[in-house]
Amino acid sequence: MLSRVAENLFWMSRHIERADNLARLVSAHQSELLDATSAPSEERHKWHPLLEVTQMGDEKSKEGVVSYMVSSEKNPDSVLNCVFHGRENARAVRDQISEEMWLELNALWLNLKAIRPTQRNRHDRICELVVQSSMKFRGIINTSLPRTDVWAFVQLGEYLERADKTSRIVDLPHFLPKNEAKSAWNTMLRASSATAEHRQRFKGEVNATSVSTLLLFSTTFPRSVRFGVNRVSELLHTISGTRQGDYLNEAERAAGALLARLNYSAVEETTEMGLHEYIDSIQVDLNRIGFALGQRYFLLRKEAPETNAENYVTSRMQAQVRMQQQQEEEQQQQQQ
Amino acid sequence: MDQFGDYKTEGFFDEAVEEEPNTMRSGYRETAKFFAQLTDQRMRASIRSLERTFLKAGVTFTVYSDGQGTERIFPFDPFPRIIPANEWDVIDRGLRQRIKALNMFLTDVYSERAILKDGIVPAELIKTSKHNRAEFAGLKVPHDTYIHICGTDLIRDDQGTYCVLEDNGRCPSGVSYMLENRLAMKRTFPELYRDMRVEPVRNYPKELLKMLNSVAPHQKDNPVCVVLTPGQYNSAYFEHTFLAQQMGIEIVEGRDLTVDNERVYMHTTQGLVQVDVIYRRIDDEFLDPHFFKRDSILGVPDLMKAYRAGNVMLVNAVGTGVADDKATYSYVPDMIRYYLSEEPILPNIETFLGSREDDLKYMLENIDKIVIKAVDEAGGYGMLIGPASTKAEQEDFRVKVKANPRGFIGQPVISLSRHPTFCNGKLEGRHIDLRPYVLTGSETVVVPGGLTRVALKKGSLVVNSSQGGGSKDTWVLRGKDSKEQPS
Repeated sequence: MLSRVAENLFWMSRHIERADNLARLVSAHQSELLDATSAPSEERHKWHPLLEVTQMGDEKSKEGVVSYMVSSEKNPDSVLNCVFHGRENARAVRDQISEEMWLELNALWLNLKAIRPTQRNRHDRICELVVQSSMKFRGIINTSLPRTDVWAFVQLGEYLERADKTSRIVDLPHFLPKNEAKSAWNTMLRASSATAEHRQRFKGEVNATSVSTLLLFSTTFPRSVRFGVNRVSELLHTISGTRQGDYLNEAERAAGALLARLNYSAVEETTEMGLHEYIDSIQVDLNRIGFALGQRYFLLRKEAPETNAENYVTSRMQAQVRMQQQQEEEQQQQQQ
Repeated sequence: MDQFGDYKTEGFFDEAVEEEPNTMRSGYRETAKFFAQLTDQRMRASIRSLERTFLKAGVTFTVYSDGQGTERIFPFDPFPRIIPANEWDVIDRGLRQRIKALNMFLTDVYSERAILKDGIVPAELIKTSKHNRAEFAGLKVPHDTYIHICGTDLIRDDQGTYCVLEDNGRCPSGVSYMLENRLAMKRTFPELYRDMRVEPVRNYPKELLKMLNSVAPHQKDNPVCVVLTPGQYNSAYFEHTFLAQQMGIEIVEGRDLTVDNERVYMHTTQGLVQVDVIYRRIDDEFLDPHFFKRDSILGVPDLMKAYRAGNVMLVNAVGTGVADDKATYSYVPDMIRYYLSEEPILPNIETFLGSREDDLKYMLENIDKIVIKAVDEAGGYGMLIGPASTKAEQEDFRVKVKANPRGFIGQPVISLSRHPTFCNGKLEGRHIDLRPYVLTGSETVVVPGGLTRVALKKGSLVVNSSQGGGSKDTWVLRGKDSKEQPS
């Protein structure tokens, strides 16, 4: 498969997963806030942890946190921008994916664009559409895409992003005052569709340990970090044809190492090390996997090599945007 | 319902209706009868179903103006253009004759230059052609074929004679519409299609791949062929992916390719894979930023080194634009006589060259009566239709022509033939042209059919999609002796 095709498949999937997770987080937080007793003037303060946890930094505009996270054009990672980029990635590989996949993303984008900026509950509506449509999108992938490398790269984007976002969601209490941590646990479970599973396993008692056990270490819950890393490792090995436990490239090694850590660390380890520090270390490892994967499969010779893993994601996206603009200009001159 | 109602030919040559006596031409009687017996309801449903088919298949072109790159469908008219077998036979022979002469001309211009030495074509004209690639003189291409894919534009004049308007030997587009139009018509009007015994066109992708394979360097078996596209924002991107998909080969962008040791490779997840034949949908000047000194990211650095070393074949070859030059066009009949000792089967349109003093004088004096075209433009751009233009536009062209006489030609306004076309549920005459596709590798294949473009605006003579044109399916009828085969 062409490297560029693999990269677009990966990012199509990753962008949609990112939009989905963000939309879930915003909706869940919104709904927890409804139960909160604090005054509306404190609302701004209530939303800030979400920016911290998703690493969107300080929102600079006056439009408000929700708007910045969901619909802002200035925020490259807003829900709307993620869907837009995912659709652009899909368009570039339309001949490789199923027709229904394209139609779903196209319909989602058109539906989102049809929501007027002045509409009441605009952001709720956007989040709802994105969550529903992304579930449909995953269903379409499962039932229409042959299990070739195309499928493998699509799945890689999904699980790598989900592992990353779930780990960030679990980090939410770190950014809250102690007395609000409890409401954060509910937000976390709701954002991860884990409320019912948690109830069944832990019979109602919600605490740091139970939530971490489920969202970080579960082998059966499909949104847990361990579940995602396990899939990532499997997929990388499928693509290269290497057997599990061995490795051919840095991405496989990094994924195997992280998986081993998750497999053999107990939830106590997180308390010893500090949950926030533990999650930070997981994110470093996830970034390393993404970086190595790009180096191995996507990097084209003509582009300058990227130097460090943290800048990788952002600089790749910027490079893509620059490339698109230049292409568009040149193509105006190409008509026969 | 009688959509013909008070249909009038208004003095134009009409493809379907003879003026005197007012009857249907051969091939059109059955089709007219078929549409007449359709209820309004069925007709409306059919048109809706056609549009859905195109939108779903993604048969679209991109409109840039709104910033989002909106995709639109190319307007389609369900009344097919019908060409009887005996008429097609003339076109077929004429196109074969012409492509043979054009390829011999290109081989000659880039080697012996005999036709220039013998004074048939002025050497000055070739030297000053924008798309002349003298740097590649002496390079031997497989089968001496330069123009592998030719999309000749044919029109019919007021006598109904098929004439060549342009040769389009660089990167002609539109063939995907020919194929998709056919699929849509077969799906929507199967009974009519079956009864009419139409020549199939569906073999085009197969023939195209066969041709690409036949021009591989070193006559390599199972060569790796790719389609090179400028990218997803190009207005013909749909066609590029469509053809790649139909042939089952990769569609690549410039950045997917890399040149090493005068060989071209594509970058895949499994490593570098050598590429042998590139069906490029990028103009010469954008192919290689090192060679053509253009700061282009569409191309591949050092691609020309690999091409010159004979390690990769480009389709069409580099330098075909010199034959595509609208001034060179006027010498094609002479080329046919010179190389083949035959008379041209398909005539040219009378053409005045700005580079000839008398012609220039005539062009400037009659600028309001004739058509002026830039020699190196395409797609309906760089053109002035005298009678339909304003004084200001004429003045603008007069200045341009005077400044660069070699860069312009003049032609009489040809009243293109008209064809019944559905306009608000009724049939009206609209002007059309025809672009058949000719493939040449080791041998020449003329696909029986082509893209019929129709100027949907009443009275308009411009059929280009960028200027409000639409298309029709083109039905070449099987001759009496042709084999009966389901398509």
